Amino acid sequence: MSALRVLTAAAPRLAAVLLGAACVAWTAVPPRHTGLATLALVVSIIAVVAGALRLALADVPQPEEGFFPSAPVRAWLTFLAVLRGLPWEEIAVVALLWLEVQHSARTSWSPWHTAALGFGLVAYLLAVHIAESGAPAGRLLRRQAKLLLAGACLLALGAGFAMLPAAGPGAGSALLRVLAAAAVVAAAALVLPGRD
Amino acid sequence: MAGPVQQVEVRWRPSRHARRLLTLALAGLLLATLTRRPELVGVAAPALLLLGVALPGRPGRPGRPARLAVRVGLASSRLYEGELAAVDLAVDDTRFDTRWLLEAGRGVEPASATAVNGAAARFEFTVPRWGRRQLGSAALVLHDPWRLTEGRAEVALPAVDCYPQPAVERTRVVLSRLPNRLGEHAARAPGEGTEFAGVREYVPGDRQRAINWPASTRLGRLQVNTFAAERSQDIVLVVDATSDVGPPGTSALDLGLRGAAGAARAYLDGRDRVGVICYQWGGARWLAPSLGRRQFYKIIDTMLSADAGWGRGETFSRLPRAALPPGALVVVFSPLLDQRFVETLRDMRERGFGLFVVDVLNTVPPPRRTFSDAMTRRIWRMEQQAIRFALRELGVPVVHWDGAAPLDLPLAPYTRRPLVVHR
Repeated sequence: MSALRVLTAAAPRLAAVLLGAACVAWTAVPPRHTGLATLALVVSIIAVVAGALRLALADVPQPEEGFFPSAPVRAWLTFLAVLRGLPWEEIAVVALLWLEVQHSARTSWSPWHTAALGFGLVAYLLAVHIAESGAPAGRLLRRQAKLLLAGACLLALGAGFAMLPAAGPGAGSALLRVLAAAAVVAAAALVLPGRD
Repeated sequence: MAGPVQQVEVRWRPSRHARRLLTLALAGLLLATLTRRPELVGVAAPALLLLGVALPGRPGRPGRPARLAVRVGLASSRLYEGELAAVDLAVDDTRFDTRWLLEAGRGVEPASATAVNGAAARFEFTVPRWGRRQLGSAALVLHDPWRLTEGRAEVALPAVDCYPQPAVERTRVVLSRLPNRLGEHAARAPGEGTEFAGVREYVPGDRQRAINWPASTRLGRLQVNTFAAERSQDIVLVVDATSDVGPPGTSALDLGLRGAAGAARAYLDGRDRVGVICYQWGGARWLAPSLGRRQFYKIIDTMLSADAGWGRGETFSRLPRAALPPGALVVVFSPLLDQRFVETLRDMRERGFGLFVVDVLNTVPPPRRTFSDAMTRRIWRMEQQAIRFALRELGVPVVHWDGAAPLDLPLAPYTRRPLVVHR
């Protein structure tokens, strides 16, 4: 197999790994040393690494079951089962969002930071799907380009909502902003046609 | 593409991609509500938009068929060990993004990528060891344009018959006494062949073109050339399937079948009548000698049955009479481990058959350190030597074949001149 073919096959997996690592780095900086933040960081790193390993070992066939397998074979089978059985990407997404929430007192540009993370997470999930399904990336992205663009606009809108001054000092006005943002997103999701 | 059509059932469910997007959307919305941060709703927005277009009833969303027609085409249902073959798969419905995943069966090695995108796919494979093999199955995965729902179907792949790779054999062992049947081997008897046999005095009725003029001039009387008759012989190949020792792929039975297949091809090419007997526990499968290319495939089909039928315990000592025509040359492929089989060979020899044994035993018991094990191993070796010596004493040539070299090499001392069988 030529180097070009190997690179072509490995490129989506490499992209997924890099996007996952970028999301972790983006969320983790500046480091916070509270217990929950550290836990979320560790979980997200483990989940991204495990997801990367799952993609890397996707072509390794499951060894045939035999009688009395040796300890290394049993360990390998267990490792593959854990790697392929758990939803690592979902775990990584939840852990990263939780870690992002821990950085609530970051700076005034915090909403834009979260919006960028949201964009990175969607890109990460798309890259993982392309890597594991072997789907042609160009065709897939062309089909979903308009929707992704609309999603990016809503992402920016959400960040904009967060930067609006609250109507009052209470928790109710903050919740109202959240509901307003959710209503805009729901309306867009229902109104947008399903054609590419 | 030619090939039978299978109707397969498709099971639809949300794709992993959809589950991940749903997780992102729900986590974003939940955290936004809990922390009262609207930007987290924005994080959920792209995922919600993508999930929204996949809702039922949306335009541009193809229906989900419960069954699909899949064409499965196999280039050949018969192949030799290690030969590259391919199976073609195609689905008629092109509305979905299609992915094929091959799950090879036992004893089948994929020789190309095991996952292919597209409405049609070709999977190449090899079968390293003879026998009847199920190719396995292919998973058909259908994705909608948004990659949010996936349909899965299992396509059962057909079985193939893998023939043992015939050993290389170009030369043939020929008996000194051949039956009176037209063939290609030069016999001792004079006849109408092409091989020069000698010169004799002319008798009325001899053909004029047979006159040897130099000899006639020298002797002063008319002399004519005589030629050897050309005859064919009956060959019976005996494969000992009672003992399969050695590593898979180069075991005694593997070598026996490959050697027998090579010998069958060589003798059938020489217009001989070839038959086969598979000697195994509880009985024998046999095929009476015959001519032609079809006979070669019949022989191999008979030999493939050695893959099954290991009914131990049944007694069996004499080979079937109908499978052994009088005056036939019996070529035996055996590791000579089963004493009953050796007795059967003795019996055949005593019945006057010309026997030739190719010893395919290429493994020995593993060496161990204890004295008793070493002694047992030595006794086993001596026993093996005694069996071979006893056969040679009966006038049965025994040659050893390692399976790697051409079969011509061990047979060389016996292919240069006719094999004389003493009764």
